[in-house]
Amino acid sequence: MSSLSESKSSDVNSKKRAISIENLGLVYRTTLDKRPTFKTRIRRLARRKRQTRIVHAVNNLSLEINYGTVLGVIGTNGAGKSSLMRVISGILPPTSGRVEVFGKVSTLLALGVGFNGKLTGRDNLYLGGLAAGMSRAQIESKFDSIVEFAGLEEVIDAPMRTYSSGMYSRLAFSVAISLDPDILIIDEALSAGDARYKVKSLEKVLEMRNQDRVIIIVSHAMKTLKTVCDEVLWLDHGKIVAQGDPTTVIKAYREFLHVGDAPESDEDL
Amino acid sequence: MKPDPASPSVIYQPFTHGLPPLGGYAKSLWARREFIFEYARADLHQKQYGSILGQIWLVINPLILAGVYYLLLIIIGARGGPDRFGHLTGTLFLFYLITNSITAGAKSVTSGAKLILNASFPRLVLPLAETLIAFMKFVPTLVVLFVIHTILGLPYSLHMLWAPVIIVLTLFFAASCAILASIINVYFRDAQNLLPYFSRTLLYLSPVLYTAQSLDANLNFLKVINPLFPILDTWSAVVIRAEAPDPTNLLLALGYSLFLFSIGTFIFLSREREFAVRI
Repeated sequence: MSSLSESKSSDVNSKKRAISIENLGLVYRTTLDKRPTFKTRIRRLARRKRQTRIVHAVNNLSLEINYGTVLGVIGTNGAGKSSLMRVISGILPPTSGRVEVFGKVSTLLALGVGFNGKLTGRDNLYLGGLAAGMSRAQIESKFDSIVEFAGLEEVIDAPMRTYSSGMYSRLAFSVAISLDPDILIIDEALSAGDARYKVKSLEKVLEMRNQDRVIIIVSHAMKTLKTVCDEVLWLDHGKIVAQGDPTTVIKAYREFLHVGDAPESDEDL
Repeated sequence: MKPDPASPSVIYQPFTHGLPPLGGYAKSLWARREFIFEYARADLHQKQYGSILGQIWLVINPLILAGVYYLLLIIIGARGGPDRFGHLTGTLFLFYLITNSITAGAKSVTSGAKLILNASFPRLVLPLAETLIAFMKFVPTLVVLFVIHTILGLPYSLHMLWAPVIIVLTLFFAASCAILASIINVYFRDAQNLLPYFSRTLLYLSPVLYTAQSLDANLNFLKVINPLFPILDTWSAVVIRAEAPDPTNLLLALGYSLFLFSIGTFIFLSREREFAVRI
């Protein structure tokens, strides 16, 4: 990890706008049951219980992110981190406000690629790329390098249900960086990879930063965030609590959590 | 060094009237056509339908089913004969194109959860891909139908050129039903448990085990209230009896398809933004 620290530089930030968020609000209605059915709906109706709940995931949030920034996003579970990432990447449309993105976004959100476990890694890779808007020819030209970076040459034609979570993670990261994004969003997606792959992926992150791109990392791994990020954003209840120097913001967040310097709070990326 | 564009490459704003911008959506849907074909190809390949043996099974399966139903008709004393077997086979194949599309379409959004949570794309591609899969399973049965038609000595005429039109109409109808079923399944996950019963009921209410002409006069209302009726009756007239299609039936089938497509896509598009938080 020391090599990563050495490559960190604070003066690469070009100060060119990459993402501009104005008064963003995200409100949605969701069911109280994880798996809503006719049965549960009728049961709740009979007991006159609420069927749904309103979630205010992001509340009037404004933010500017410039090129050349590695932004860490921290916050407790349900703070709105993933929701914010999904709005930036166009997966969830905002309820209010406006998000402007100046460049190509690639997402590496918690679940990664491999949506159909019955299909092979190869099929999933093609389908994930096509869904993300790539053409078949583009995927074909990058296919070998994606598989090689993920180190999955021997299993790429096996059904993805046979993959370990680390293999999923490696393939997802490899696909995300292959899209040659201007803005890369990583939402707690690297935790499953082994130590060697984590170093490899973090080196890639820093390489991207040195190319003046934007990387947004949502994580609970404070130590890694301090190492790779220029800036950290702390969210709570869909609002910004603090934003700025990683050491300062993480210290304040730890005090808020009453965890001090407990090693558990440095949990893996 | 990244370029510094004067205007953003993409702007995300709240939907107007709960719907995404339709022009942009249609463009994005068209851009994902490769995804639909690749998804169908990968699914059929995974189910071994890419091989000769797999394709033979695709043909044998509905053929056995038609044989079983024909046996049932003989046992209950219905009139047999080559045209009856031809009608049963032809309509059963088309009926399964529709119900396969509905059954697989119902699960399309919920089983695509990982993709929905991770990528921005028009979700409508998921039920549409399932309709394409149902169609690709249907295509080999057309060859079987042709062979049966010839062996049974059923007539041929130029009216049979209407068949592609009816297939397109059926696909339109099947896709509309798949879209509707996919939304229902997002909100009620046990809906798919009811689908086999729904499908069986639909079979009995449609002119598959009987012909429209043999239907009791008291049940003529089925010809209008069952959306599958005009499609299957026209298919039988054109493909089995080699007759011209009834214009009323064609119009009814088109009307039902347009109605279901409008309702289905409107509900789907207005609810699509919720999928990522509901699945």
